[in-house]
Amino acid sequence: MIEGCPGSKTMDLRETETQGEGESVKVGSQLRQWPIQMHLISPTAPYFQGADVVLVADCVAYAFGNFHNDYLKGKSIGIACPKLDSEQEIYAEKIKGWIDDAKINTLTVLIMQVPCCSGLVKLAQEAAQSASRKVPIKYIVVGVQGEILQEEWL
Amino acid sequence: MEIYLNKNIKEIINQFPKAADVLNEYDIACAPCNVGTCLLKGVVEVHNLSSEAEHELLKKIAQVIFPGKDVEIPKIKRKVAHAAGQIKYSPAIRKLVDEHVYIKKLLAAMPIMLESIDVSSAEDKQLILNSIDFIRSYADKYHHAKEEDILFKKFEGIEIVKAMLEEHDIGRGHIKAALEAVEKGDNQTIRERLIAYRELLKEHIKKEDEILYPWLDKNLSVSEIGEMFSKFSGVDKQYLSASQRYEGFANKIEEKILHKEVLQND
Repeated sequence: MIEGCPGSKTMDLRETETQGEGESVKVGSQLRQWPIQMHLISPTAPYFQGADVVLVADCVAYAFGNFHNDYLKGKSIGIACPKLDSEQEIYAEKIKGWIDDAKINTLTVLIMQVPCCSGLVKLAQEAAQSASRKVPIKYIVVGVQGEILQEEWL
Repeated sequence: MEIYLNKNIKEIINQFPKAADVLNEYDIACAPCNVGTCLLKGVVEVHNLSSEAEHELLKKIAQVIFPGKDVEIPKIKRKVAHAAGQIKYSPAIRKLVDEHVYIKKLLAAMPIMLESIDVSSAEDKQLILNSIDFIRSYADKYHHAKEEDILFKKFEGIEIVKAMLEEHDIGRGHIKAALEAVEKGDNQTIRERLIAYRELLKEHIKKEDEILYPWLDKNLSVSEIGEMFSKFSGVDKQYLSASQRYEGFANKIEEKILHKEVLQND
């Protein structure tokens, strides 16, 4: 077992994997756009104009079973990994572009509970501070087993 | 008990005065409310009690209404699950709470300010006129306009919102009467009306900050919060220089009157 960084600590969750066991439920996609990765998106794409945007850490959609219905429905999205992605200053510029140019309505940042993930909230916050418009920003922390641990407005 | 959940709270208190004591135990101050048209179920829902406290409160009220009888306690249906505890406002609602701070500064200074007021003196008359101007322009036109034209519009027809709107009207009545009294040089009426306004607004702001706003916040979607924030920002932009001037006035009053009082008591 690797100790040290909580972001890469090995955890065996098989015993707790009980929800919906044995069932096969078809869940429709709520994705309204492509691309979604922050290096690939254009912040001024039509689906960002005046939108409620979610900026989501890569792992969230895998941990949170009902991500599409609870957080993606009716929203536009950008995904990123604050730990592994390079050139994140480009992300900051794109977030600023969402706020100032696409005039988004709100920004919700969804991150995992691991400490390194909080970097995405910090990045969003700093980008928002450099923007000339102000928008409400919310952050949501998701546990490794998909539970919502924290949900707060910044 | 279901019937009583759908009755207005003043009617219940009038019929069963001990119900007011039960509500007081849970810091629900419906008894002195000027309006009292909220339904019992609305009162319980909006006060953000834990499910245990809600059950306990309804059980005590049931005992007041049906003494000695074993009454089934219904659960109040909520649109959104509440977490009892610390108040965290959305950025839209936070704007309104921040504006309350300036209104409260003037309210806090009023008793000292009015103690020896004499509008036959030009200085005193100007102070009262400036305070009334602050109330009419900042508290009413700027702040209440956000509430009445934007926030409360989304919750039209809800009893507690109707009660808040009625309190706005009662406040306007006090201020109109105070202004008329200034013109007549009637110091007594000025004092009475402004103190009545102060008492009303102090309670009104407390109810909004601690009960109504957190409840409204929980019933607004992220998207609605964004729209509201944008509309409030529009109002802020429109009144920018005026709001800054009035906030400066509230700071000056606080400094001048309350600070003077502190120095006198030292």
